Amino acid sequence: MTSQLSKKHSFDTVFDSQKVFRLILEAMSNPARVVGTKEFADKLFGEYPAFLAVAMTLLDNESCFNVCGNQLLSDEIASLTLAKRTPMESADFVFVCTANDMEPVIQKAKCGTLSDPHKSATVVIQNDGQPVCQMALAGPGINGCTVVRMTQVVKDALAFRDMQNYEYPQGIDLLFISDDGGLFSIPRLIQMEVQ
Amino acid sequence: MMNRNYNFAFLDEGSKREIRRAALKAVAIPGYQVSFGSRELPIGRGWGTGGIQLTLSLIGPEDVLKVIDQGSDESVNAVNIKKFIGLCTDVETTTKTSEATVIQTRHRIPEVPLTNRQILIFQVPIPEPLRIVEAREEVTKKMHAEKDYAPIWLQLYESLVKYNKVTIASEYPCMVSGRYMMNPSPIPKFDNPKLHRAECLYLFGAGREKKIYAIPPYTEVISLAFDDIPFEKENFKGKKCRLCGSENTYLDEMFDQHGDRFYQCSDTSYCQEVRDYVSG
Repeated sequence: MTSQLSKKHSFDTVFDSQKVFRLILEAMSNPARVVGTKEFADKLFGEYPAFLAVAMTLLDNESCFNVCGNQLLSDEIASLTLAKRTPMESADFVFVCTANDMEPVIQKAKCGTLSDPHKSATVVIQNDGQPVCQMALAGPGINGCTVVRMTQVVKDALAFRDMQNYEYPQGIDLLFISDDGGLFSIPRLIQMEVQ
Repeated sequence: MMNRNYNFAFLDEGSKREIRRAALKAVAIPGYQVSFGSRELPIGRGWGTGGIQLTLSLIGPEDVLKVIDQGSDESVNAVNIKKFIGLCTDVETTTKTSEATVIQTRHRIPEVPLTNRQILIFQVPIPEPLRIVEAREEVTKKMHAEKDYAPIWLQLYESLVKYNKVTIASEYPCMVSGRYMMNPSPIPKFDNPKLHRAECLYLFGAGREKKIYAIPPYTEVISLAFDDIPFEKENFKGKKCRLCGSENTYLDEMFDQHGDRFYQCSDTSYCQEVRDYVSG
């Protein structure tokens, strides 16, 4: 066990979890809307505290996850949530810390089946960098079409996702978290066009 | 006063997490029924346990809760659910639709349009719209996977042939985002158009049938209809509420002790607000 793991956190598993869940629910219901998780991430530790806030909210011993080889983050999530570590192909949640890991993750992440599309991965991606482009997003949760400024990470993630050509309702759901705790989602039905 | 012998919002955190995961997948796949492990509650299955479990998993100390049953804030089901949730959360409750952040409902959508900050949670007895034409769950699941909804269309057609109109009064099926056929719970047809491109999030919980499904904001929800026979909701032309005089609401038909018929708003909170406004 690393020294990081012996740190105590002040994240309340009842009340903070509830608040973070409501923020994630708001983000999933309103794709591209950024919600702030910093207040809760600050109660945790390590290099990716916002990931831990999401993990503590959604993961437990009934779910499984993968962190693309980041041993420290894997230990922290397993220790905090008791969730099972699993290969990428079978993970319910995949945490992506670096942009280089995104392509293989999106290629391998499970996308559910036509009968059971909910047995698909939620991919949580660290969203670093400055906006590089504008994208028009449309789909359920968005009133018509919304134009948003996106980083290279988001642009690439959507491009990799679209290359998979999932047959809806199969697909993966993406959550992006920035350094400042800003979280937004792009569920499987949201489509983009680069402007 | 909250009963401290129970966890906040009654359910244990593991149960809440499972329901939360299911709710998120339901939002991501609008209209698709996500299975979940429905928990035992101190209330019989079929009395709104799906809605209650969703509410308990969502609700926090800062929420304002409203519970309605057939539009009424004061029916037995609504009052007791509100009491139960109050006992294990201490959240503020209200009867005013616009003040609530979480609304649990049985069989109605409030007359006041809901906003994007509000969540409407439905209690659903039978979530499967195909159950009426196919009894086996494994078959209906396959029908959804293959988008095979022909038997429902046939049922609508047979209804037209036999009665010259579609005879489904409530639970009128609709297509969500052009992909999933969905049972909107036993709301009257009058409420179906309120599902289409609404600002709020709709969550549906079926405790006995162990299913959760959702309609995110601004989602296309189209009630089934043929090109030449459009969808028709209940028509209250020439009738009005005897209390507030509203002519544009869903009206309950009632009879007094003399057998005389009268009409009254089903949404009691809306009716009261109109009367308060009129009386200044």
